Amino acid sequence: MIQRLSYALRETIASFRRNVTLSVAAVITSAVSLLLVGATFLIQRAFDNLLVQWRGDVGMIVFVRPDVTPDALKLIEDNLRSQPNVVDLDKLEYLDRDASYEEAKRVFVGDPTTLSLLSIDTIPSQFKVVPLTTDPELVRNLALQYRTLPGVAGVSLAEDEFDVISTLSGFVRTVTIAMSLVLLGVAVILIWNTIRTAIFARRREIEVMKLVGATDWFIRVPFILEGLIQGLLGAIVSCGGLWALNSAWTSGVAGFKPGTGVSSLIVPGSYVNGVMVALLVIGALAGGIGSGVASSKFLDV
Amino acid sequence: MIRLENVSKMYGGEIPAVRDATFDIAKGDFVFLVGPSGSGKSTLLRLINRQERPERGDVWVAGRNINEMANNQIPHLRRTMGNVFQDYKLLPNKTVFENVAFALEVIGKPKHVIGQQVPQVLELVGLSGKEDRFPHQLSGGEQQRVSIARAFVNRPLILLADEPTGNLDPATGEGIMGLLDAINRTGTTVVMATHDHRVVNAMRRRVIQLDRGVIVRDQERGVYE
Repeated sequence: MIQRLSYALRETIASFRRNVTLSVAAVITSAVSLLLVGATFLIQRAFDNLLVQWRGDVGMIVFVRPDVTPDALKLIEDNLRSQPNVVDLDKLEYLDRDASYEEAKRVFVGDPTTLSLLSIDTIPSQFKVVPLTTDPELVRNLALQYRTLPGVAGVSLAEDEFDVISTLSGFVRTVTIAMSLVLLGVAVILIWNTIRTAIFARRREIEVMKLVGATDWFIRVPFILEGLIQGLLGAIVSCGGLWALNSAWTSGVAGFKPGTGVSSLIVPGSYVNGVMVALLVIGALAGGIGSGVASSKFLDV
Repeated sequence: MIRLENVSKMYGGEIPAVRDATFDIAKGDFVFLVGPSGSGKSTLLRLINRQERPERGDVWVAGRNINEMANNQIPHLRRTMGNVFQDYKLLPNKTVFENVAFALEVIGKPKHVIGQQVPQVLELVGLSGKEDRFPHQLSGGEQQRVSIARAFVNRPLILLADEPTGNLDPATGEGIMGLLDAINRTGTTVVMATHDHRVVNAMRRRVIQLDRGVIVRDQERGVYE
């Protein structure tokens, strides 16, 4: 058994040396494609963070007309406070027109046209509501109750704002997954071709092996091992790349102001490690499959 | 030991390489397959070691119909046969010892068995002392001896030889024939394809003559006509 294993390893290393250029090309291609696969995972996770954080914070804003009567305003607040099971009363916040105007100056800092239409007399005041539930449907039902109350100008849901982010993350996911699948296919084909060349280079030896009665598996294993190692080497390189990419991103994000949402785009290290393990498995599998198919196709009895 | 029943083999679906061949070779026989180039001698050998499968008919080796054998049984069939070729088919980057040891190594024989059997067979073929030479450092006759050593090291039941003297001068060819004769005397069945008149006439063994794929003569103690 040990003798066979050492034979397979010797042959694998010798074959790798014989085809250095092709082997390196196969390793680089699998590294690039796996890096893209890894980046897809991380981007996805970062967007998820963003959505989760917002959902946990303010979920609904009730805008109140500037000309609201004190009775109507009290009715709205009493109504909100009467629902301790749905609304987090400790975090319930009322922004009067002064505070709302101050906030608007920040929100529309990049949009002076909208800001110029607002004034201390025309701006609605607002209740910031933190729902106790994370179920978007329940929040939507809650919003319906307030839209019809006297004095309410409108109700905004964080959920509606998320649509943009959700759509964007869906698009990014589709594109990156498609690209990484294509590249992964290219890597498998390159490994397949490397193994085919290796088999061709050793066709005399293989002919002799068959004639003296070596089993197919005995002949195949060194080739499959070679492809598997190529895939694995590519995966190791891609893990290094992913780690570097994530470190650069994390330190870059730290430079943004807190509360802008960008800060939530950081991916925890434990998740990155998990992705790296997945890349190693995918790389080894892709290499093994590519070389396995090639060696069974070109080593007929 | 070897039995062919109405065996036909086509190449490209049209030209028959072997047509309706039937013969029996007993254990310990020495048989020459003779005939001009393209008469089907090599194809018959390739049918016996199952490098080819016939379109029609059956090939039996050691009591088993090898056309019905599963693919994973073929390596075990081939371990009962040795093959010798006109062009030797030695591996150029391996020494004499390694070339012969290779045949045992790839069928999983342990190191101590290899270390014991390879020197024995090299002595039998007269190559003791040349274990560390590479094929390109040997004469044609010596290379053919390495090839015979590789074919015989596993003590096969059958030795198939395809024009083993084809590349050699008469004197060297005679030496090779002496070696094959010695191997035959150990009980190994030898089937040899050749169009070398001298060796056939000198040995006076069974001759199966082929002409365009058809067996036209099967004679005990025959000569080349």
